Amino acid sequence: MKKLYAVFAVLLVAALLLPACGASGTPDCSKPETFCVGLVTDVGKIDDKSFNQSAWEGVKQAEKDLGAVVQYIETTDAKDYAKNISTFAEAQYDVIVTVGFGLGEATTAAAQQYPGTKFIGVDQFQAAVTPGVAGLNFPEDQAGFLVGALAAQMSKSGKIGGVFGTDAVPPVWRFGEGYRAGAQYINPNIEIFIVYHSDVGFDKTFSDPEWGAATAKSMIEKGADIVFGGGGKTGNGAVIGAVEAGALGIGVDTDQYYTLPEAQKGLLSSAMKLITPGVFDLVKMAKDGAFPDGNFFGKAAYAPYHDLDSQVPAEVKAKMEEINKALLDGSLATNVSPVKP
Amino acid sequence: MQAAAEKPARGWFVRLWRAFVEAALVPILAIITAVIGGGIIIWVVGGNPFAAYLGLLQGAFGSTRAWSETFVWATPYIFAGLAVALAFKGGLFNIGAEGQLAFGALAAAWVGYALPNLLGVQLPGYIHLPLAILAGMLVGALWGAIPGALKAYAGGHEVINTIMMNYIALNLTSFLLNGPMKDKNPLNVIARTPEIAESARLLPIFANLRIHWGFPLALLTAFLVWYLLWKTTLGFEIRTAGSNPDAAKYAGINFKRILVLTMALSGLLAGLAGAVEVTGLNYRQELGFSIGYGFDAIAIALLGKTHPLGVVLSAILFAGMRNGATRMQFLTQIPVDIISVIQALILLFVAADAIVRKIYRIKAREDRLVLTRGWGG
Repeated sequence: MKKLYAVFAVLLVAALLLPACGASGTPDCSKPETFCVGLVTDVGKIDDKSFNQSAWEGVKQAEKDLGAVVQYIETTDAKDYAKNISTFAEAQYDVIVTVGFGLGEATTAAAQQYPGTKFIGVDQFQAAVTPGVAGLNFPEDQAGFLVGALAAQMSKSGKIGGVFGTDAVPPVWRFGEGYRAGAQYINPNIEIFIVYHSDVGFDKTFSDPEWGAATAKSMIEKGADIVFGGGGKTGNGAVIGAVEAGALGIGVDTDQYYTLPEAQKGLLSSAMKLITPGVFDLVKMAKDGAFPDGNFFGKAAYAPYHDLDSQVPAEVKAKMEEINKALLDGSLATNVSPVKP
Repeated sequence: MQAAAEKPARGWFVRLWRAFVEAALVPILAIITAVIGGGIIIWVVGGNPFAAYLGLLQGAFGSTRAWSETFVWATPYIFAGLAVALAFKGGLFNIGAEGQLAFGALAAAWVGYALPNLLGVQLPGYIHLPLAILAGMLVGALWGAIPGALKAYAGGHEVINTIMMNYIALNLTSFLLNGPMKDKNPLNVIARTPEIAESARLLPIFANLRIHWGFPLALLTAFLVWYLLWKTTLGFEIRTAGSNPDAAKYAGINFKRILVLTMALSGLLAGLAGAVEVTGLNYRQELGFSIGYGFDAIAIALLGKTHPLGVVLSAILFAGMRNGATRMQFLTQIPVDIISVIQALILLFVAADAIVRKIYRIKAREDRLVLTRGWGG
C-alpha cells in the first residue's frame, strides 16, 4: 500500500509539470511567409454536410491553391466561441473564418482585440463596419429566383408551391419572393401557392416539420406538382412531404441531396448559397491585401439535378444556365425588396 | 472521513493524505484506466496519444489563461455536481439538475435585465446582484421541490419525474427565449434575453481573464454543503433518510419533509449553477447556453463519490478535459469527441468498480456506496 501512495504523489507532480514542456511540429504562423487560415465551427461538427463543411472546403481550397496552413476547431459549447477564436489569434493566424450568425458578436469583439488578424464571418450580416471583419452574405433572392424559374419550367400542372419559415426573417422573405419572381419570369400566368409560417412564434416557425409536410400536401391536393421548402426543419418537412406525396421537392441553403436522403428520389434541385467559393475568395483577398471590411456578397446557385437529371429536358438546362449567367452579370434583376415592406 | 489507518497515526498531514487516497483510490485508478483506454482508441484511429494528451494538458493547465478557462468551466460543474451529490446523500437520484439549472439561469437573467425597468430605479450592485442570484436559487429550489413532493405525497418516483420536469423546463425555456423574454432589438435574430444590467454582474477576478467570483463562491458552497451534511442536525437527518429510511422513521425524523427539503436544496444548488453562469459569464441567457451540464453533473457527483471535496476535484478534472480539448484538436486534429469517450469510460469504471478492483487487485474494504433505493423505497 505504501508504494501506491508514493506512486500517486509522483503522478500528481508529473501531471503538474508536464504541461510546461512545449509541443513541437506545429507550423509557426508568426512568420510573414507562412500564411495561416483557421476555422471555428458553430456548435456542431466539421462534416455537417452544411455550412461548417462548405466553409471548411473553401479553406481547404486555400490550402491547395494558396499554400496556406489550415486548421479547424469544432465548438462544443457557445461559451467557447471567444476562446476558440483566440486560440487561432494568439497563434498568429492570418485569417480566421467563423461559421454562422451565432459567432457574430464574438467575431467583431475578437477583431477589436486582434487588429492584425482578418476575420471572415459566414452568414454574419454586418450592421456596422468593423475593421478587419468581412461578413459573407448571399443574395437569397437570386437563389430563390433560379429555383422558381426551374419549377415553372418543370411543372406540368402549371401550379407550384413554396413553404417557408416566417417572412419576418429577411433571408426567408428573399428566398420566398425570389421564388415567386423567378416563376413569374418564366410564366406570368403560373399559379403559385406560397405560405410563410408566420402564424406561430419564433420558437416554432423553423422547427415544425409536421406543419411543413401537411402544408406541402395540401398544396399538392390543389394541383401543385413542385414544392420549394425554405426554413430549417419546417422547410425540410415540406420537401420530404412533397416527395412522399409523389411531387417534386426543392431544397435550400446547401445541396440538400446530401442532407435529406429520404427526399433524394424526388429532389429536383436546391437554392444554394455558394459558401465554399465565397470563403475562398475572401481568403485570397486577405492574402492579396485587398480584404473588404463590412459586407461581402457571395454567389447564389441551383444544385445539380442528381437522380432527376435525365428527366430535365436539354432546353430547360440551357435556359437555367442562361438565367444564372444573366443574374451573375447583372443584366437580370429579381426586383425583390431586401425586407418585407 | 473513514480514516481506517493500519498503523498508528503519524502527522495530521499523513493521516489526511491517507484518508484521501483511501477514498479516492478507485476513482483515481478509474481515471488512469480510462486515460489508457482512450489512448488506445486514439492510437487505433491513427492519432498519437502522447501528442493528444500533451495538447489536452497544455490546453487545460498550460498557462494562466488555460487555468482561468478551466475554472470558468469548473464553476457550473461544481454547483451542479453538488446538487446531484446532495440528492444522492439523501437517497435520491436527481436527474433534473439540467432543468433546474436552466430555470435558475432564466430567473437570474430576468431579474438582471427586467427588474430595474419594472421598478423604474437603478438598483445598486449590492442589492441587484444578490437578488438575481437569489432568484435563480429560489426558482431552482421550487423546480426541485416539485418532484420531491410528488415522491413524498403521491408516490411518483423522482427519476421519472425529474426527467419529465426536464422536458417541461427545456421546452418552456425555448418558448420564453423565443417569445416573451426575447431581446426585442430589431437586429437580433437569436433566441436570447437582453443583456443584464452591470449592477447584476459578478465581476471577473483579474483583468483580461474570464475567471470570475463565481469560482470562489463555488468552493465556498462546497464547504457549506459539507458543513450542512456532516455538522448539522438537518444534514444528519438527510444522510439517515438516505442510507436507512426505516431507521430514520423510527428515529422520529419527518421523512417526507426531509425528502422534499433534500430535493429543494438540490434544485437550489442547480439553480445557483445557472444563476452564476448568467451573472458571472454570459451576462444573458440564450437558447443553447449551458446545455448538458446537469447530465455531466451526475458523472461528476459519482466520480466524486458524492463528497463535496470529491465533487470539486472531479469538476475541475471534467472542466480541464472540456477546456483542454480545444487545444488538443488545434494541435493534433483529434476530434473533441474523444473527451466524451474518456469521460464515459471513467464513469463506467467508477460505477462498475469491480473491474478496477480486479485489474489492480484491491480488496473491497470500504462499504459500498449506496446511492438510491429501488422503486417505492
